[in-house]
Amino acid sequence: MSESVVVHGRDFVKYRIGGAIVAAVLALALVWQVYEIFNGDARTIPEVRWGATVYDGTAVGSQDEASSSLLASQALAERTRFQAERYQTGPSPSAEQPDYSVVPDIYMTTSPMAFGEEFTESWARFSEGTGAMLHAPQRIIGISSLPYPGATIFERPVARDWRLGMADIATHLGALAILGMGFLLALMLAIRGRVPIAHGRSTRTVQRFGLLERTTHWMTSVSFIGLALTGLVIAFGKTLIMPFGEEALGAVGWIATWGHIMFFPPFALGILVMAVMWTGRNLPERRDLHWLRVAGGFFSDGGPSPPAKKFNAGQKLVFWSAVLGGLLMVASGVTLMFPFYWANLDTLSWAMLAHAVAGLLLIAIFVAHIYIGSVGMQGAFWAMWTGRVDHNWAKEHHALWLVQIEARNGKDPT
Amino acid sequence: MARLKFLCDTDRCIECNACATSCKNEHEVPWGMVRRRVVTINDGEPGERSIAVSCMHCTDAPCVAVCPVSTLYQTDIGVVLHDKDICIGCGYCFYACPFGAPQFPRATLFGTRGVMDKCTYCAGGPEENGSEAEFRKYGRNRIAEGKLPICAEVCSTRALLAGDGDVVGEIYRERVVARGFGSGAWGWKTAYYPEQDA
Repeated sequence: MSESVVVHGRDFVKYRIGGAIVAAVLALALVWQVYEIFNGDARTIPEVRWGATVYDGTAVGSQDEASSSLLASQALAERTRFQAERYQTGPSPSAEQPDYSVVPDIYMTTSPMAFGEEFTESWARFSEGTGAMLHAPQRIIGISSLPYPGATIFERPVARDWRLGMADIATHLGALAILGMGFLLALMLAIRGRVPIAHGRSTRTVQRFGLLERTTHWMTSVSFIGLALTGLVIAFGKTLIMPFGEEALGAVGWIATWGHIMFFPPFALGILVMAVMWTGRNLPERRDLHWLRVAGGFFSDGGPSPPAKKFNAGQKLVFWSAVLGGLLMVASGVTLMFPFYWANLDTLSWAMLAHAVAGLLLIAIFVAHIYIGSVGMQGAFWAMWTGRVDHNWAKEHHALWLVQIEARNGKDPT
Repeated sequence: MARLKFLCDTDRCIECNACATSCKNEHEVPWGMVRRRVVTINDGEPGERSIAVSCMHCTDAPCVAVCPVSTLYQTDIGVVLHDKDICIGCGYCFYACPFGAPQFPRATLFGTRGVMDKCTYCAGGPEENGSEAEFRKYGRNRIAEGKLPICAEVCSTRALLAGDGDVVGEIYRERVVARGFGSGAWGWKTAYYPEQDA
């Protein structure tokens, strides 16, 4: 069989050079992402400094930063004292009238500041006296006379865990998954080249996907890419768009928020049609295990390509991630689109976290799908574009399906 | 440096809602939103307590950490402020907030909640201190005038205390010693000391 191999993956030299370049870039991105996990910037630190000046009748006096901060601090601390018991600070018939103008004509100013880490660190430590008066953290939900969503909440310590899950785990996990998947694929392209049509192009083509199948596929894929890009702006905008300015991030973020909603209906419809159209052909079979064991024969040009029906095990996995993942995304997304209609704050929090994690993993999975359907495999793209595939391609990847098709055409030669 | 905090003495709060009302009036907070509210637990039963709650201006504030744009930021006196021109209304801060502080004007329409609003500790926002633009978006800036939040300064029973954390703690401890009991500073562990074990 291997003598008849006329096209080798390693012959796609330009593709392999491209793959090598992309792999190198993604390797750098991965290193940077790993550094981001450990660089310890997950804590919130103050960015703005308060200072104070005293109006002296003609102009606002100027002071150096340190004494200005100290004056602001002192004014606020002294003002705080007024809230002590009335016999101490009045107003009370038995006490002296206090002088409320602690620092007369004070005017506080704000300016950007650096080195906020020490503030957060010192705030997080408490003295013995403070430690003794702390009430144990616990979930406290009561009643409220105010009719607002969430008005009955006093304390939900679990929210700090949500922050950990969202800002520290989901974001980094997603970046690692997407960059890692891209890196592995690019590396595969560089080393192995494309998966070729080993016996070369034939002169015949076979109808593989009908118009409805292709329309559904492209509607779903375009809306998925739209959802993915807008979602990525929300997940990683602080890293990717912030360098262009906070205002730019706000504007792009706003477009992303709206766009995310706009792309949802065609995506949901596509997932639904796909589920109806393809579930029957994607049910697992015994031969799928064999296909997976030899990784579809993708790593050798002339090796045994495991026979498959219309969909092989890899395609079935992609189908089920699209359908099950898509349903999870749609269900959690719709819940988030109608806050407090049927879900309370805790359900919404879980829906948001599930939406973020599943979305990022789906993007990583579909990066692989897009790769194998375009640059990764010779001839694969035309199955979804024109609907017709090369006869040799079909023989090499979907032997059983080709037999079925030809048997049917044999009965009805048109 | 002063580190501003809120403390509500649950042994004193009488659920009069003056803090919530004066706040809403002082800052002209729009309909459908409230920056401070009073929560009552065990209502009508022994052990009933009321507590006024708003943004606590946390240490290592989770809302700032999860904000996907850069709406939220903290200042060196601990106050957490927000920039309404950048907010995209995603609601992450609401999920990450242990005290349910962030509010959205349209919480029911297709997830487009509108721009977030929350307690500013009467310290305005990123606009120029005391300007008209600042007042329209964020309300009065009392801190710029050397004053403390209206909710605490208006509290008739002095249950709600605001200001430098050390002074507030001192006032509370003196009070507890004088009357002989006190149920502690509710929410402080979650808000201000997330890492240290009590």
